[in-house]
Amino acid sequence: MDLDLNVQKEGDHAVLRVGGEIDVYTAPKLREKLIELVSDGEYHLVVDLENVDFLDSTGLGVLVGGLKRVRNHDGSLRLVCTQEKILKIFRITGLTKVFPIHSSVAEAISDSTE
Amino acid sequence: MASSDPAPAVVRLAFPPLPALLGTVRLVVGVVARKAGVDEEGVEDLKVAISETCAVAVNGLEGAGLSTPIELDLIEEADRFGVEVRDAAPAGERGAAVPPDGEVDDRQFGLALVDALVDGLDDIRLPGGGHRTRFWLPRARTELPPPLT
Repeated sequence: MDLDLNVQKEGDHAVLRVGGEIDVYTAPKLREKLIELVSDGEYHLVVDLENVDFLDSTGLGVLVGGLKRVRNHDGSLRLVCTQEKILKIFRITGLTKVFPIHSSVAEAISDSTE
Repeated sequence: MASSDPAPAVVRLAFPPLPALLGTVRLVVGVVARKAGVDEEGVEDLKVAISETCAVAVNGLEGAGLSTPIELDLIEEADRFGVEVRDAAPAGERGAAVPPDGEVDDRQFGLALVDALVDGLDDIRLPGGGHRTRFWLPRARTELPPPLT
């Protein structure tokens, strides 16, 4: 079980595409990548979860940590997700009110720059 | 049947408290639950619930410096599918699935998520030490054919 992380620059945004399962074993890798992006001056992040097969509270905690870090620099962290099983976890925990969640990377970037 | 006296386990696992093993545990539980008639949404809920519960146990055992195996029973009753997780983490050492690094500070966050996904969450400390967490999901009802005449 591994986590695939791929970063692409899209204008002012860094798009982090995540694939695989995010749990207590793999979440540290995601945390390190988010810390690295912020350390490199990337304060407007789009995290694409479309290829994530599993997400638990450890993963949620890492995403919340990432949001706190970019907000310290007046930045933003937007999510892309259309999978019901993943969206359900955000809804149950009330995090749909914390994270802007979009159906595509293009929509996330478009809404961010409006 | 009383919730304190479930049917015997149809599958029993024991595994060392290693985070790397949780993906395999989810896979096994998913296969058994699907075979028992739990629907796909239920299987996904179950995977999250198992992962949260086992992560709490792993963190608790790691915090106590123990490598005692985590035991997991999968239980089939007439209309429900059950999971029981037992760990030997001493009281006060049990950790939340979210590591205590300031990302999320609610230590009970993981089990609260479990409670929202499954039925009848029962999380107790065992008299001899450790914890037992049990929860249930409904099995799909199988319509019996009409009786022969």
